Amino acid sequence: MRVLIQLRPSPDVVAAVAAPDLTATTADVTGELPGVALDHSYTPVALPRPHPAAGGGDPLSLNQRLNFSMAPEEASVLVRGEISDDETAARMALLPGRHNGVVAVYADPVIETSLTCGGTPPVGTWRDVERLLAVPRLQAEGYDGEGVALAICDTGVNSAHVTRALGRSFTVDARRSWTPASVSGSAGRFPVDHGTMCAFDALIAAPNASIIDVPVLLSRRQGGTVMDGLLSDAIAAFSHLRTLLDAQPAATRSLVVSNSWGSFSPLWDLAPGQPGNYSDNAAHPFNIIVGSLERAGADILFAAGNCGAECKDRRCAFPARPIVGANSHPQVLSIGGVDTNGVRVGYSSQGPGRLSDRKPDVCSYTHFAGSGAFGAGTPDSGTSAACPVAAGLVAAIRTRWPASVISPAQLRTLLHRTADDRSDVGFDYDYGYGVADTAGLLASLERRTARTALTAKV
Amino acid sequence: MRAMVLVTVRLPQEATLEDALRRLGLTEDDVDTAYGLVPLDPEQGLYALRVTEEAGRRVGQAGGGGPFADPPIEPYGPPG
Repeated sequence: MRVLIQLRPSPDVVAAVAAPDLTATTADVTGELPGVALDHSYTPVALPRPHPAAGGGDPLSLNQRLNFSMAPEEASVLVRGEISDDETAARMALLPGRHNGVVAVYADPVIETSLTCGGTPPVGTWRDVERLLAVPRLQAEGYDGEGVALAICDTGVNSAHVTRALGRSFTVDARRSWTPASVSGSAGRFPVDHGTMCAFDALIAAPNASIIDVPVLLSRRQGGTVMDGLLSDAIAAFSHLRTLLDAQPAATRSLVVSNSWGSFSPLWDLAPGQPGNYSDNAAHPFNIIVGSLERAGADILFAAGNCGAECKDRRCAFPARPIVGANSHPQVLSIGGVDTNGVRVGYSSQGPGRLSDRKPDVCSYTHFAGSGAFGAGTPDSGTSAACPVAAGLVAAIRTRWPASVISPAQLRTLLHRTADDRSDVGFDYDYGYGVADTAGLLASLERRTARTALTAKV
Repeated sequence: MRAMVLVTVRLPQEATLEDALRRLGLTEDDVDTAYGLVPLDPEQGLYALRVTEEAGRRVGQAGGGGPFADPPIEPYGPPG
Protein backbone atom coordinates (compact mmCIF):
# COMPACT_ATOMS: atom_id res chain seq x y z
CA MET A 1 0.00 0.00 0.00
CA ARG A 2 1.28 3.43 -0.90
CA VAL A 3 1.52 5.76 2.10
CA LEU A 4 2.37 9.35 2.99
CA ILE A 5 4.55 9.70 6.06
CA GLN A 6 4.41 12.91 8.06
CA LEU A 7 7.69 13.69 9.83
CA ARG A 8 8.88 16.45 12.10
CA PRO A 9 12.62 16.70 11.43
CA SER A 10 14.88 19.44 12.83
CA PRO A 11 13.84 23.03 12.02
CA ASP A 12 16.74 23.57 9.61
CA VAL A 13 15.61 20.55 7.54
CA VAL A 14 12.02 21.82 7.54
CA ALA A 15 13.30 25.21 6.42
CA ALA A 16 15.27 23.60 3.59
CA VAL A 17 12.20 21.67 2.42
CA ALA A 18 10.01 24.77 2.56
CA ALA A 19 12.52 27.07 0.82
CA PRO A 20 11.53 27.50 -2.83
CA ASP A 21 15.14 27.97 -3.96
CA LEU A 22 16.41 24.74 -2.32
CA THR A 23 15.65 21.11 -3.23
CA ALA A 24 15.72 18.81 -0.23
CA THR A 25 15.51 15.07 -0.87
CA THR A 26 13.82 12.29 1.06
CA ALA A 27 17.27 11.18 2.25
CA ASP A 28 17.82 14.67 3.72
CA VAL A 29 14.61 14.34 5.72
CA THR A 30 14.83 10.80 7.06
CA GLY A 31 16.94 7.70 7.13
CA GLU A 32 15.43 4.30 6.37
CA LEU A 33 12.16 3.54 8.13
CA PRO A 34 11.58 -0.12 9.12
CA GLY A 35 9.28 -1.90 6.68
CA VAL A 36 8.84 1.14 4.44
CA ALA A 37 10.18 1.33 0.90
CA LEU A 38 10.76 5.09 0.66
CA ASP A 39 10.08 6.68 -2.72
CA HIS A 40 13.23 8.72 -3.31
CA SER A 41 11.82 10.13 -6.56
CA TYR A 42 9.26 12.08 -4.53
CA THR A 43 10.31 15.57 -3.48
CA PRO A 44 9.42 16.13 0.21
CA VAL A 45 6.66 18.64 0.83
CA ALA A 46 6.43 21.02 3.79
CA LEU A 47 3.10 20.91 5.58
CA PRO A 48 1.94 23.89 7.69
CA ARG A 49 0.59 23.49 11.21
CA PRO A 50 -3.00 24.73 11.76
CA HIS A 51 -3.78 27.05 14.71
CA PRO A 52 -7.14 28.45 15.84
CA ALA A 53 -7.43 31.95 14.40
CA ALA A 54 -9.15 33.20 17.55
CA GLY A 55 -7.39 33.22 20.92
CA GLY A 56 -8.70 30.47 23.20
CA GLY A 57 -9.85 28.28 20.27
CA ASP A 58 -9.80 24.46 20.50
CA PRO A 59 -6.26 23.47 19.37
CA LEU A 60 -7.52 20.07 18.13
CA SER A 61 -10.57 21.20 16.17
CA LEU A 62 -10.48 21.77 12.41
CA ASN A 63 -14.09 23.01 12.44
CA GLN A 64 -13.24 26.63 13.11
CA ARG A 65 -11.39 29.47 11.40
CA LEU A 66 -7.72 28.48 11.18
CA ASN A 67 -4.37 30.08 10.51
CA PHE A 68 -1.48 28.01 9.12
CA SER A 69 2.11 28.34 10.23
CA MET A 70 5.08 27.44 8.05
CA ALA A 71 7.56 28.36 10.80
CA PRO A 72 10.31 25.71 10.77
CA GLU A 73 9.67 24.92 14.43
CA GLU A 74 6.01 24.20 13.72
CA ALA A 75 5.69 22.87 10.15
CA SER A 76 6.18 19.21 9.29
CA VAL A 77 7.31 17.35 6.16
CA LEU A 78 5.61 14.70 4.02
CA VAL A 79 7.53 11.93 2.26
CA ARG A 80 6.12 9.03 0.22
CA GLY A 81 6.69 5.30 0.51
CA GLU A 82 5.12 1.90 0.33
CA ILE A 83 4.30 -0.70 3.00
CA SER A 84 3.62 -4.36 2.23
CA ASP A 85 -0.12 -5.05 2.11
CA ASP A 86 0.38 -7.86 4.64
CA GLU A 87 1.53 -5.43 7.31
CA THR A 88 -0.18 -2.17 6.51
CA ALA A 89 -2.34 -1.82 9.61
CA ALA A 90 0.36 -2.80 12.10
CA ARG A 91 3.08 -0.65 10.61
CA MET A 92 0.83 2.36 10.13
CA ALA A 93 -0.10 2.13 13.79
CA LEU A 94 3.38 1.40 15.18
CA LEU A 95 5.63 3.66 13.15
CA PRO A 96 4.63 6.95 14.82
CA GLY A 97 5.38 5.59 18.29
CA ARG A 98 8.53 3.65 17.46
CA HIS A 99 10.46 5.88 15.13
CA ASN A 100 11.74 9.33 16.03
CA GLY A 101 10.33 12.06 13.90
CA VAL A 102 7.36 10.15 12.45
CA VAL A 103 4.19 12.01 13.34
CA ALA A 104 1.63 10.00 11.36
CA VAL A 105 1.20 7.65 8.40
CA TYR A 106 -1.63 8.14 5.91
CA ALA A 107 -2.97 6.16 2.95
CA ASP A 108 -1.97 7.55 -0.46
CA PRO A 109 -4.74 6.23 -2.70
CA VAL A 110 -4.25 5.97 -6.45
CA ILE A 111 -6.00 8.78 -8.29
CA GLU A 112 -7.25 7.62 -11.67
CA THR A 113 -8.96 9.86 -14.15
CA SER A 114 -10.08 7.22 -16.61
CA LEU A 115 -9.97 3.75 -15.12
CA THR A 116 -11.28 1.03 -17.45
CA CYS A 117 -14.76 -0.01 -16.30
CA GLY A 118 -17.65 -2.13 -17.56
CA GLY A 119 -18.93 0.34 -20.14
CA THR A 120 -15.53 1.47 -21.43
CA PRO A 121 -14.83 0.72 -25.12
CA PRO A 122 -12.14 -1.88 -25.90
CA VAL A 123 -8.57 -0.93 -24.95
CA GLY A 124 -6.50 -2.41 -27.76
CA THR A 125 -7.11 -5.66 -29.61
CA TRP A 126 -6.24 -9.31 -29.17
CA ARG A 127 -3.28 -8.72 -31.46
CA ASP A 128 -1.92 -6.36 -28.78
CA VAL A 129 -2.41 -9.15 -26.24
CA GLU A 130 -0.57 -11.52 -28.57
CA ARG A 131 2.33 -9.04 -28.70
CA LEU A 132 2.31 -8.41 -24.94
CA LEU A 133 2.41 -12.16 -24.30
CA ALA A 134 5.33 -12.48 -26.74
CA VAL A 135 3.46 -15.19 -28.66
CA PRO A 136 5.80 -15.16 -31.70
CA ARG A 137 8.72 -15.90 -29.35
CA LEU A 138 6.72 -18.57 -27.52
CA GLN A 139 5.95 -20.30 -30.81
CA ALA A 140 9.52 -19.99 -32.08
CA GLU A 141 10.70 -21.77 -28.94
CA GLY A 142 8.11 -24.54 -29.19
CA TYR A 143 5.69 -23.23 -26.58
CA ASP A 144 2.43 -23.48 -28.52
CA GLY A 145 0.25 -25.75 -26.37
CA GLU A 146 0.76 -28.82 -28.57
CA GLY A 147 -0.28 -31.92 -26.63
CA VAL A 148 -1.66 -29.90 -23.72
CA ALA A 149 -5.29 -30.33 -22.61
CA LEU A 150 -6.90 -26.98 -21.80
CA ALA A 151 -10.31 -27.27 -20.14
CA ILE A 152 -12.74 -24.37 -20.50
CA CYS A 153 -15.30 -24.78 -17.69
CA ASP A 154 -17.97 -22.34 -18.76
CA THR A 155 -21.08 -22.02 -20.98
CA GLY A 156 -19.75 -24.19 -23.82
CA VAL A 157 -17.66 -23.40 -26.87
CA ASN A 158 -18.78 -22.56 -30.40
CA SER A 159 -15.79 -23.69 -32.43
CA ALA A 160 -17.06 -22.26 -35.74
CA HIS A 161 -17.21 -18.76 -34.22
CA VAL A 162 -13.77 -19.10 -32.61
CA THR A 163 -12.28 -20.32 -35.90
CA ARG A 164 -13.74 -17.33 -37.76
CA ALA A 165 -12.56 -14.85 -35.15
CA LEU A 166 -9.05 -16.30 -34.91
CA GLY A 167 -8.71 -16.83 -38.65
CA ARG A 168 -7.40 -20.34 -38.11
CA SER A 169 -8.64 -23.72 -36.97
CA PHE A 170 -8.04 -25.31 -33.60
CA THR A 171 -8.85 -28.58 -31.85
CA VAL A 172 -11.83 -29.29 -29.64
CA ASP A 173 -11.22 -32.68 -28.06
CA ALA A 174 -14.81 -33.96 -28.13
CA ARG A 175 -13.85 -37.37 -26.76
CA ARG A 176 -12.44 -35.91 -23.55
CA SER A 177 -15.00 -33.10 -23.22
CA TRP A 178 -17.83 -33.46 -20.72
CA THR A 179 -21.43 -32.27 -20.69
CA PRO A 180 -23.66 -32.33 -17.59
CA ALA A 181 -26.54 -34.80 -17.89
CA SER A 182 -29.15 -32.04 -17.93
CA VAL A 183 -27.51 -30.25 -20.89
CA SER A 184 -28.18 -31.06 -24.52
CA GLY A 185 -25.64 -30.24 -27.18
CA SER A 186 -22.19 -31.47 -28.06
CA ALA A 187 -18.67 -30.24 -27.53
CA GLY A 188 -17.71 -27.26 -29.69
CA ARG A 189 -21.28 -26.70 -30.88
CA PHE A 190 -22.85 -24.63 -28.14
CA PRO A 191 -24.40 -21.19 -28.76
CA VAL A 192 -21.92 -18.30 -28.94
CA ASP A 193 -21.62 -16.93 -25.43
CA HIS A 194 -19.22 -16.44 -22.55
CA GLY A 195 -17.50 -19.83 -22.97
CA THR A 196 -16.74 -19.06 -26.63
CA MET A 197 -15.00 -15.86 -25.54
CA CYS A 198 -12.97 -17.83 -22.98
CA ALA A 199 -11.84 -20.42 -25.55
CA PHE A 200 -10.79 -17.68 -27.98
CA ASP A 201 -8.80 -15.88 -25.30
CA ALA A 202 -7.06 -19.07 -24.14
CA LEU A 203 -5.98 -19.86 -27.70
CA ILE A 204 -4.12 -16.55 -28.11
CA ALA A 205 -1.03 -17.91 -26.35
CA ALA A 206 -1.66 -21.64 -26.86
CA PRO A 207 -2.99 -22.03 -30.43
CA ASN A 208 -2.28 -25.77 -30.57
CA ALA A 209 -3.73 -26.74 -27.20
CA SER A 210 -6.59 -29.24 -27.22
CA ILE A 211 -9.70 -27.54 -25.89
CA ILE A 212 -11.73 -29.66 -23.47
CA ASP A 213 -15.25 -28.22 -23.56
CA VAL A 214 -16.96 -28.37 -20.15
CA PRO A 215 -20.24 -26.38 -20.28
CA VAL A 216 -20.82 -26.59 -16.55
CA LEU A 217 -22.65 -23.24 -16.37
CA LEU A 218 -25.42 -24.50 -18.68
CA SER A 219 -26.59 -27.10 -16.19
CA ARG A 220 -30.10 -26.72 -14.78
CA ARG A 221 -30.42 -28.95 -11.75
CA GLN A 222 -33.24 -29.15 -9.31
CA GLY A 223 -32.67 -26.36 -6.82
CA GLY A 224 -30.95 -24.10 -9.29
CA THR A 225 -32.36 -21.01 -10.98
CA VAL A 226 -32.95 -20.48 -14.69
CA MET A 227 -29.78 -18.40 -14.83
CA ASP A 228 -27.10 -20.48 -13.25
CA GLY A 229 -25.38 -23.77 -12.84
CA LEU A 230 -24.77 -25.06 -9.36
CA LEU A 231 -21.56 -25.73 -7.54
CA SER A 232 -22.42 -29.43 -7.47
CA ASP A 233 -22.14 -29.39 -11.29
CA ALA A 234 -18.63 -28.02 -10.96
CA ILE A 235 -17.81 -30.85 -8.53
CA ALA A 236 -18.97 -33.38 -11.13
CA ALA A 237 -16.98 -31.60 -13.85
CA PHE A 238 -13.80 -31.59 -11.77
CA SER A 239 -14.30 -35.28 -10.99
CA HIS A 240 -14.39 -35.92 -14.75
CA LEU A 241 -11.21 -33.87 -15.21
CA ARG A 242 -9.51 -35.91 -12.50
CA THR A 243 -10.35 -39.06 -14.50
CA LEU A 244 -8.79 -37.49 -17.61
CA LEU A 245 -5.67 -36.55 -15.75
CA ASP A 246 -5.24 -39.98 -14.19
CA ALA A 247 -5.52 -41.52 -17.67
CA GLN A 248 -2.52 -39.53 -18.95
CA PRO A 249 0.99 -41.01 -18.72
CA ALA A 250 2.59 -39.61 -15.57
CA ALA A 251 5.71 -38.43 -17.40
CA THR A 252 3.84 -36.14 -19.80
CA ARG A 253 0.87 -35.21 -17.67
CA SER A 254 -0.57 -31.74 -18.26
CA LEU A 255 -4.04 -30.32 -17.80
CA VAL A 256 -4.85 -26.63 -17.51
CA VAL A 257 -8.30 -25.73 -16.18
CA SER A 258 -9.71 -22.25 -16.80
CA ASN A 259 -12.65 -21.08 -14.64
CA SER A 260 -14.15 -17.66 -15.33
CA TRP A 261 -17.01 -17.98 -12.89
CA GLY A 262 -17.84 -17.85 -9.24
CA SER A 263 -20.41 -17.08 -6.60
CA PHE A 264 -21.56 -13.45 -6.49
CA SER A 265 -23.75 -13.49 -3.41
CA PRO A 266 -23.68 -14.89 0.12
CA LEU A 267 -27.49 -15.23 0.02
CA TRP A 268 -27.43 -18.76 -1.41
CA ASP A 269 -24.62 -19.85 0.88
CA LEU A 270 -24.52 -20.70 4.57
CA ALA A 271 -22.95 -18.02 6.75
CA PRO A 272 -19.15 -18.01 7.19
CA GLY A 273 -18.31 -20.00 10.30
CA GLN A 274 -21.06 -22.56 9.72
CA PRO A 275 -19.62 -25.97 8.82
CA GLY A 276 -21.56 -26.15 5.52
CA ASN A 277 -20.43 -22.75 4.24
CA TYR A 278 -18.65 -22.52 0.85
CA SER A 279 -17.17 -19.01 0.61
CA ASP A 280 -14.81 -19.24 3.60
CA ASN A 281 -14.55 -22.99 4.13
CA ALA A 282 -11.62 -25.04 2.83
CA ALA A 283 -13.49 -28.20 3.85
CA HIS A 284 -16.39 -27.62 1.42
CA PRO A 285 -16.54 -30.51 -1.09
CA PHE A 286 -15.74 -28.25 -4.05
CA ASN A 287 -12.68 -26.82 -2.32
CA ILE A 288 -11.63 -30.38 -1.47
CA ILE A 289 -11.86 -31.55 -5.09
CA VAL A 290 -9.97 -28.47 -6.28
CA GLY A 291 -7.09 -29.41 -3.98
CA SER A 292 -7.28 -33.05 -5.06
CA LEU A 293 -7.17 -32.18 -8.79
CA GLU A 294 -4.22 -29.82 -8.27
CA ARG A 295 -2.34 -32.45 -6.28
CA ALA A 296 -2.84 -34.87 -9.17
CA GLY A 297 -1.06 -32.42 -11.51
CA ALA A 298 -3.60 -29.93 -12.89
CA ASP A 299 -2.95 -26.20 -13.19
CA ILE A 300 -6.18 -24.60 -12.05
CA LEU A 301 -6.94 -20.94 -12.75
CA PHE A 302 -9.89 -18.94 -11.47
CA ALA A 303 -10.93 -15.41 -12.36
CA ALA A 304 -10.55 -13.15 -9.32
CA GLY A 305 -13.98 -11.66 -10.06
CA ASN A 306 -15.47 -8.33 -11.14
CA CYS A 307 -16.06 -6.79 -7.74
CA GLY A 308 -13.22 -4.24 -7.71
CA ALA A 309 -13.86 -1.23 -5.50
CA GLU A 310 -13.81 1.37 -8.29
CA CYS A 311 -16.54 -0.06 -10.57
CA LYS A 312 -17.89 -3.35 -9.35
CA ASP A 313 -20.43 -5.50 -11.20
CA ARG A 314 -23.94 -4.76 -9.90
CA ARG A 315 -24.35 -8.46 -8.97
CA CYS A 316 -21.56 -8.24 -6.35
CA ALA A 317 -23.20 -8.80 -2.98
CA PHE A 318 -20.32 -9.71 -0.68
CA PRO A 319 -19.83 -6.63 1.49
CA ALA A 320 -16.05 -7.15 1.66
CA ARG A 321 -13.32 -9.57 0.53
CA PRO A 322 -15.10 -10.52 -2.71
CA ILE A 323 -12.58 -13.19 -3.81
CA VAL A 324 -14.39 -16.13 -2.26
CA GLY A 325 -14.37 -19.92 -2.23
CA ALA A 326 -12.25 -21.70 -4.83
CA ASN A 327 -11.46 -18.37 -6.51
CA SER A 328 -9.30 -17.74 -3.43
CA HIS A 329 -8.06 -21.34 -2.99
CA PRO A 330 -4.36 -21.54 -2.07
CA GLN A 331 -3.75 -24.17 -4.76
CA VAL A 332 -5.16 -22.20 -7.69
CA LEU A 333 -3.99 -19.16 -9.60
CA SER A 334 -6.44 -16.35 -8.98
CA ILE A 335 -6.26 -13.99 -11.94
CA GLY A 336 -6.91 -10.26 -11.82
CA GLY A 337 -7.34 -8.07 -14.90
CA VAL A 338 -5.27 -5.30 -16.51
CA ASP A 339 -5.95 -3.53 -19.78
CA THR A 340 -3.44 -3.59 -22.62
CA ASN A 341 -1.76 -0.51 -21.07
CA GLY A 342 -0.93 -2.67 -18.06
CA VAL A 343 -3.30 -0.74 -15.78
CA ARG A 344 -5.65 -2.65 -13.48
CA VAL A 345 -9.25 -2.47 -14.69
CA GLY A 346 -11.50 -0.90 -12.08
CA TYR A 347 -13.75 -3.96 -11.76
CA SER A 348 -10.95 -6.46 -11.03
CA SER A 349 -11.55 -7.83 -7.53
CA GLN A 350 -9.02 -6.97 -4.86
CA GLY A 351 -7.66 -9.15 -2.10
CA PRO A 352 -7.27 -10.42 0.47
CA GLY A 353 -8.95 -13.67 -0.52
CA ARG A 354 -11.17 -15.60 1.87
CA LEU A 355 -9.46 -19.03 1.75
CA SER A 356 -5.98 -17.56 1.45
CA ASP A 357 -4.90 -13.97 1.98
CA ARG A 358 -2.53 -13.43 -0.95
CA LYS A 359 -5.04 -13.06 -3.76
CA PRO A 360 -5.15 -12.28 -6.60
CA ASP A 361 -1.98 -14.17 -7.52
CA VAL A 362 -1.19 -12.34 -10.75
CA CYS A 363 -2.95 -10.27 -13.41
CA SER A 364 -3.36 -10.78 -17.12
CA TYR A 365 -4.94 -8.88 -20.01
CA THR A 366 -8.63 -8.13 -20.48
CA HIS A 367 -11.00 -5.57 -22.00
CA PHE A 368 -9.65 -5.84 -25.56
CA ALA A 369 -11.37 -6.30 -28.91
CA GLY A 370 -11.17 -10.04 -29.37
CA SER A 371 -13.66 -12.82 -29.97
CA GLY A 372 -16.66 -10.63 -30.75
CA ALA A 373 -18.72 -13.17 -28.80
CA PHE A 374 -20.91 -10.37 -27.44
CA GLY A 375 -21.10 -8.48 -30.73
CA ALA A 376 -18.77 -6.40 -32.84
CA GLY A 377 -17.19 -3.58 -30.85
CA THR A 378 -17.91 -5.21 -27.50
CA PRO A 379 -14.67 -6.13 -25.73
CA ASP A 380 -13.66 -9.46 -24.27
CA SER A 381 -13.90 -8.19 -20.73
CA GLY A 382 -14.04 -9.01 -17.07
CA THR A 383 -11.52 -11.07 -15.19
CA SER A 384 -13.43 -13.66 -17.25
CA ALA A 385 -11.16 -12.79 -20.17
CA ALA A 386 -7.99 -12.31 -18.11
CA CYS A 387 -8.28 -15.85 -16.69
CA PRO A 388 -8.22 -17.76 -20.01
CA VAL A 389 -5.54 -15.41 -21.38
CA ALA A 390 -3.37 -16.48 -18.41
CA ALA A 391 -4.49 -20.11 -18.82
CA GLY A 392 -3.25 -19.99 -22.43
CA LEU A 393 0.15 -18.81 -21.23
CA VAL A 394 0.29 -21.63 -18.67
CA ALA A 395 -0.73 -24.15 -21.36
CA ALA A 396 2.01 -22.82 -23.64
CA ILE A 397 4.60 -23.35 -20.90
CA ARG A 398 3.28 -26.87 -20.28
CA THR A 399 4.14 -27.78 -23.90
CA ARG A 400 7.74 -28.29 -22.81
CA TRP A 401 7.42 -28.53 -19.03
CA PRO A 402 4.91 -31.19 -17.92
CA ALA A 403 3.66 -31.42 -14.34
CA SER A 404 6.07 -34.28 -13.67
CA VAL A 405 8.98 -31.85 -14.14
CA ILE A 406 7.49 -28.64 -12.72
CA SER A 407 4.59 -29.26 -10.35
CA PRO A 408 1.58 -26.92 -10.39
CA ALA A 409 2.81 -25.41 -7.10
CA GLN A 410 6.26 -24.78 -8.57
CA LEU A 411 4.74 -23.20 -11.67
CA ARG A 412 2.63 -20.88 -9.51
CA THR A 413 5.74 -19.82 -7.62
CA LEU A 414 7.52 -19.25 -10.93
CA LEU A 415 4.65 -17.05 -12.15
CA HIS A 416 4.75 -15.09 -8.89
CA ARG A 417 8.51 -14.59 -8.99
CA THR A 418 8.67 -13.54 -12.63
CA ALA A 419 5.58 -11.32 -12.73
CA ASP A 420 6.02 -7.69 -13.72
CA ASP A 421 5.61 -6.08 -10.29
CA ARG A 422 3.24 -3.12 -10.38
CA SER A 423 4.16 -1.86 -6.92
CA ASP A 424 7.54 -1.39 -5.27
CA VAL A 425 7.18 -4.02 -2.56
CA GLY A 426 6.26 -7.22 -4.36
CA PHE A 427 2.78 -8.51 -3.58
CA ASP A 428 -0.18 -6.14 -3.27
CA TYR A 429 -3.94 -6.71 -3.19
CA ASP A 430 -4.63 -4.90 -6.49
CA TYR A 431 -2.19 -6.66 -8.83
CA GLY A 432 -1.06 -9.61 -6.72
CA TYR A 433 2.57 -10.29 -7.61
CA GLY A 434 2.16 -8.30 -10.83
CA VAL A 435 1.31 -8.94 -14.48
CA ALA A 436 2.22 -12.46 -15.69
CA ASP A 437 5.30 -11.93 -17.83
CA THR A 438 6.33 -14.23 -20.65
CA ALA A 439 9.91 -12.91 -20.96
CA GLY A 440 10.52 -13.38 -17.24
CA LEU A 441 9.06 -16.88 -17.32
CA LEU A 442 11.15 -17.96 -20.31
CA ALA A 443 14.33 -16.50 -18.81
CA SER A 444 13.73 -18.42 -15.60
CA LEU A 445 13.05 -21.65 -17.50
CA GLU A 446 16.24 -21.15 -19.54
CA ARG A 447 18.24 -20.80 -16.32
CA ARG A 448 16.61 -23.97 -15.04
CA THR A 449 17.52 -25.82 -18.24
CA ALA A 450 21.13 -24.62 -17.95
CA ARG A 451 21.32 -25.73 -14.29
CA THR A 452 19.90 -29.15 -15.16
CA ALA A 453 22.43 -29.56 -18.00
CA LEU A 454 25.28 -28.56 -15.69
CA THR A 455 24.16 -31.01 -13.01
CA ALA A 456 23.93 -33.79 -15.61
CA LYS A 457 27.52 -33.10 -16.74
CA VAL A 458 28.83 -33.19 -13.17
CA MET B 1 -39.11 -28.00 -5.92
CA ARG B 2 -37.06 -29.45 -3.06
CA ALA B 3 -33.93 -27.59 -1.96
CA MET B 4 -30.86 -29.76 -2.19
CA VAL B 5 -27.55 -29.76 -0.33
CA LEU B 6 -24.30 -31.68 -0.55
CA VAL B 7 -23.01 -34.33 1.84
CA THR B 8 -19.78 -36.31 1.83
CA VAL B 9 -19.06 -39.92 2.73
CA ARG B 10 -15.93 -42.06 3.03
CA LEU B 11 -16.09 -45.33 1.10
CA PRO B 12 -13.65 -47.78 -0.51
CA GLN B 13 -12.53 -47.13 -4.10
CA GLU B 14 -15.03 -48.16 -6.81
CA ALA B 15 -17.93 -47.65 -4.38
CA THR B 16 -21.44 -47.22 -5.81
CA LEU B 17 -24.39 -44.99 -4.96
CA GLU B 18 -26.04 -48.01 -3.31
CA ASP B 19 -23.01 -48.38 -1.03
CA ALA B 20 -23.33 -44.72 -0.07
CA LEU B 21 -27.08 -44.99 0.64
CA ARG B 22 -26.44 -48.01 2.83
CA ARG B 23 -23.63 -46.30 4.75
CA LEU B 24 -25.65 -43.10 5.31
CA GLY B 25 -29.01 -44.77 5.97
CA LEU B 26 -30.71 -42.98 3.07
CA THR B 27 -33.18 -44.05 0.39
CA GLU B 28 -33.26 -43.15 -3.31
CA ASP B 29 -36.00 -40.61 -2.53
CA ASP B 30 -33.51 -38.70 -0.39
CA VAL B 31 -30.90 -38.24 -3.10
CA ASP B 32 -30.41 -36.82 -6.59
CA THR B 33 -29.82 -40.15 -8.31
CA ALA B 34 -29.03 -38.47 -11.65
CA TYR B 35 -26.14 -36.68 -9.94
CA GLY B 36 -24.97 -39.94 -8.43
CA LEU B 37 -21.92 -40.58 -6.28
CA VAL B 38 -19.03 -38.28 -7.27
CA PRO B 39 -15.43 -39.00 -6.18
CA LEU B 40 -13.84 -35.94 -4.53
CA ASP B 41 -10.51 -37.37 -3.51
CA PRO B 42 -9.87 -40.95 -4.67
CA GLU B 43 -6.77 -41.39 -2.46
CA GLN B 44 -8.81 -40.49 0.62
CA GLY B 45 -11.90 -42.45 -0.48
CA LEU B 46 -14.01 -39.29 -0.19
CA TYR B 47 -17.23 -38.93 -2.22
CA ALA B 48 -20.06 -36.37 -2.57
CA LEU B 49 -23.83 -36.76 -3.07
CA ARG B 50 -26.70 -34.28 -3.55
CA VAL B 51 -29.46 -34.91 -1.06
CA THR B 52 -32.58 -33.16 0.22
CA GLU B 53 -32.13 -30.63 3.02
CA GLU B 54 -33.91 -33.00 5.41
CA ALA B 55 -31.63 -35.91 4.50
CA GLY B 56 -28.61 -33.58 4.78
CA ARG B 57 -29.62 -32.68 8.33
CA ARG B 58 -29.95 -36.36 9.23
CA VAL B 59 -26.53 -37.14 7.78
CA GLY B 60 -25.01 -34.22 9.71
CA GLN B 61 -26.66 -35.26 12.99
CA ALA B 62 -25.36 -38.82 12.52
CA GLY B 63 -21.80 -37.46 12.26
CA GLY B 64 -21.50 -37.56 8.47
CA GLY B 65 -19.94 -34.87 6.30
CA GLY B 66 -22.19 -31.90 5.77
CA PRO B 67 -24.69 -30.65 4.94
CA PHE B 68 -22.78 -28.27 2.64
CA ALA B 69 -24.20 -25.38 0.60
CA ASP B 70 -24.73 -25.89 -3.14
CA PRO B 71 -24.86 -22.25 -4.29
CA PRO B 72 -25.50 -21.08 -7.86
CA ILE B 73 -22.45 -20.18 -9.92
CA GLU B 74 -22.35 -17.55 -12.66
CA PRO B 75 -19.94 -16.39 -15.35
CA TYR B 76 -17.78 -13.43 -14.32
CA GLY B 77 -18.51 -11.23 -17.23
CA PRO B 78 -18.98 -9.06 -19.03
CA PRO B 79 -19.09 -6.77 -15.99
CA GLY B 80 -22.38 -4.90 -15.77
